[in-house]
Amino acid sequence: MLALSVIVAALLLAACSSSPSSSPTTAAGSGSGTKVAGGTATWAEAPNTEPNYIFPFMSLAYFSVANINQFQFLMYRPLYWFGNGAQPTLNPSLSLADAPVYSNNNTTVVVKMKPYKWSNGETVTAQDVLFWVNMMHSDKANWAAYAPGFIPDDVKTLTVDSPTQLTFTLTASVNPYWFTYNELSQITPLPIAWDITSTGGSAGSGGCSAAAFGTQDAKCDAVYTFLSKESGYDPANPKASNNSLATYATNPIWQIVDGPWKLSSFDASGNASFLSNPSYSGSPKPTLAKFTELPFTTDDAEYNALVGGKINFGYLPLQDVTKPTTNPLVPAGNNPRLSTFTLAPLYTWSINYFPENFNSTGDGGNAGVIWKQLYVRQAFQDLVDQPLYINKIDHGYGVPTYGPVPVTPANPFSSSLEKNNPYPYSLTKAKSLLSTHGWKVVPGGTTTCTSPGTGATQCGKGVPSGAKLAFNLQFASGNASQEQLMNTEKSSWAQAGFNITLSQGSFDTVIGNATACTPSASCSWELENWGAGWVYAPDYYPTGEEIFSTGAGSNSGSYSDATNDHLTVQTNTTNTSLTAWENYLAQQLPVVWQPNTVTAMSEIQNTLHGVLPQDPLWSLNPENWYFVK
Amino acid sequence: MIGFIFRRFLQAIVVIVGVLLIVFILAHIIPGGAARAALGPRATKVQIAQFNHLNHYDQPLVKQFWLYIDGLVTSFNLGYSYHWNQGVTQVILARLPKTLVLVGMGTLVAVIVAVPLGILQVVRRNKPVDYVLTSLSFVFYAMPVFLLGALLILYFSFDLHWFSSEAPQGATVLSILSQPRSLVLPVFTLAALTIASFSRYMRSSMMETLTEDYVRTARAKGAGPRRVLYVHALRNAVIPIITLLGLSIPAIVGGALVTEALFNYPGMGLLAYQAITNTDIPLLLGTTFFATLATIAGSLLADILYAAVDPRIRYAK
Repeated sequence: MLALSVIVAALLLAACSSSPSSSPTTAAGSGSGTKVAGGTATWAEAPNTEPNYIFPFMSLAYFSVANINQFQFLMYRPLYWFGNGAQPTLNPSLSLADAPVYSNNNTTVVVKMKPYKWSNGETVTAQDVLFWVNMMHSDKANWAAYAPGFIPDDVKTLTVDSPTQLTFTLTASVNPYWFTYNELSQITPLPIAWDITSTGGSAGSGGCSAAAFGTQDAKCDAVYTFLSKESGYDPANPKASNNSLATYATNPIWQIVDGPWKLSSFDASGNASFLSNPSYSGSPKPTLAKFTELPFTTDDAEYNALVGGKINFGYLPLQDVTKPTTNPLVPAGNNPRLSTFTLAPLYTWSINYFPENFNSTGDGGNAGVIWKQLYVRQAFQDLVDQPLYINKIDHGYGVPTYGPVPVTPANPFSSSLEKNNPYPYSLTKAKSLLSTHGWKVVPGGTTTCTSPGTGATQCGKGVPSGAKLAFNLQFASGNASQEQLMNTEKSSWAQAGFNITLSQGSFDTVIGNATACTPSASCSWELENWGAGWVYAPDYYPTGEEIFSTGAGSNSGSYSDATNDHLTVQTNTTNTSLTAWENYLAQQLPVVWQPNTVTAMSEIQNTLHGVLPQDPLWSLNPENWYFVK
Repeated sequence: MIGFIFRRFLQAIVVIVGVLLIVFILAHIIPGGAARAALGPRATKVQIAQFNHLNHYDQPLVKQFWLYIDGLVTSFNLGYSYHWNQGVTQVILARLPKTLVLVGMGTLVAVIVAVPLGILQVVRRNKPVDYVLTSLSFVFYAMPVFLLGALLILYFSFDLHWFSSEAPQGATVLSILSQPRSLVLPVFTLAALTIASFSRYMRSSMMETLTEDYVRTARAKGAGPRRVLYVHALRNAVIPIITLLGLSIPAIVGGALVTEALFNYPGMGLLAYQAITNTDIPLLLGTTFFATLATIAGSLLADILYAAVDPRIRYAK
């Protein structure tokens, strides 16, 4: 019976770990060859994304994939690990705790710790979790993922029942999926040795880790301030000179890890090397002896290093793709200079879109009221031919965005309606929508409202006679593909008389302009495209409350819809599936859905195995990697 | 001369404050500003307000500028770069030696090669050597740096495997100099364009000098061609090169953006570029400050060298 169970478990594991069609069939993934113990794997950082912050509790200024998934997670493991093979789902085997148990109408959550160890010999306990949540309580404003009303605001009590168990009592019933994926996902247990306020302080002397939940904010803030300074940032005096980055690899604080790697060298340019942690208590243990991250000034420099054999795991810049593909998940062929590498496209857990400003006073004061008309948004979206743009501009390496939930990577959340594109390209339909709502359609010119009013065949509430479909669209500069896409879309929109004036600005300028505002003279932006949409992390459950709910912090276009708000709350607080909400929003078009270009065209040396499938949250797990000969 | 230097020093202070003020104002009128740049699209209004308060961006511009100058004068504090999570001074000082080595060597090589080439063209004026060197000068002068660098990498690194496609990756001058093979391609890429330019200046300056009366006098007194060329003409002919060298000093500090980007060499040029694209205002001001200092120093150095080379030049009190 036991043997049968083992076989069944093995089969289940094998089934779970096999990725969908994203894995190339050749080399690098799990091919043949004799496994070699030891060795150094070198990985290329993308330009301008050097890690620069080691303390896992950070403000938005340091909240990045480069700092979290590709640096801190190697050393300091989150309570719950997301990214399971090629899927953006909970990974029980890499989590520090068993799956949370919900009870009392989903207002009580019990978390049971697994027997992990810190490298200083301490056990990873429930108190380490309390330490983090206490810091969240004292320094909400300094925690990047904090949103008012959510964790820790929705935690009534948090008690450590034993070293291996703690219990959250919540202020209201929650959707367990949502609470695990979007709230508990933010927690990274901290060692008691970090509960100090000065170098050399005794473990726990800061008084934050042992305090009852939320009762010692001042003490926790002092600990936060000290650890932030050790990480390079003085929250009280940001202009204070410091050189903490140079000490990352030698500071005893940062050498206490529960992950499989320890930092062995680091410099401010982004060069980072890790040695395997001999006391790592998880599985698998590293086969490689060393893992190195190298910074690059540009894509060209990275490509040169790749061809020159300096890196084992890098990426192919999109401009160096030589063969277009018909399947975004399966490369058509590698660059001829990289014949000893395997090409593997990576699509992260994200959607791409740009917002319309629903409160805009642009376009003669009419932009906002025009965008509030669903049929206008539908006509606008009808003219976005995502599959065509992906083929022609991205060489086939891109996936469409048809709603608020990503369709790729494969996941259990996206609905069939989203997968099948509710708004396929149709010029006829776009023109028809406008003309049947009282607009005089002028292809190549500017379509004008000729029938104001709120009737079914009129322009809609607030749209005056003579209002024009003429808008300014600013997009982030510096990306040739993006510029090509914008120009192509402009031509497409022009066919139905959407007169779009394009302009470019730096990424910072665009996101600076794309700020929610109330109708006023200064609230005149109409369309802003920063080119990156939204990445669902650490809100892995894609419920979109931060981007589409009324008044949400990142709802740039001030979209407001009572049904959406209601459905969103349902996804947060009840066991309702995402389908009703995502289908509704996919059809309501709160933003303009855009194609999502491949995140990275990873290049993996054929002698380096264990890399595939790649994590859709872009975390690195070099403990899985090994060389073969 | 001391009085001249003192006056220039006073002028320099005014220039530095003026340049910083202009950059300060321009940087602060960018939409979104430093807060959006540092915090990204996820930042809420509350978070942006908090950031601005903490970093004094909510203060009047005049007060912000005063705080900046005060920090600079009293503690040489150029502020903090969120992008690099370091003090601006530390970020700059980490990259300055790299740029000094690369651009300094490129300029040195250019002078060493360009001056003799210019003279050779004059000596062999309107001969095949002159035509070939002139043509090559035009080719290298017209060639974009990124193209030359890419071609050099393609041929000498990818195909022949003679040199590395990367510049030395060390952080100190010694570690950079200890990898001479890695320096060859970036230094040559930088020097090629400068050689083309300097040699043309040298050629025309030398030709003009050789028509001067004192050169004719020297010849009439029986001085040989070599003596005329190297003793009488060269000192005067080299003055335009000194001007160019003086103007090159800002580049030695300011870096060579394209070469640094192509050869994976994070120096000052790339740093300034990133400061602009990341709206990293303190770093932008810091790199501007250093570039201004270098421009002033270069100009002053050129003036002093004029006097050293040409005894007729004296600066009035």
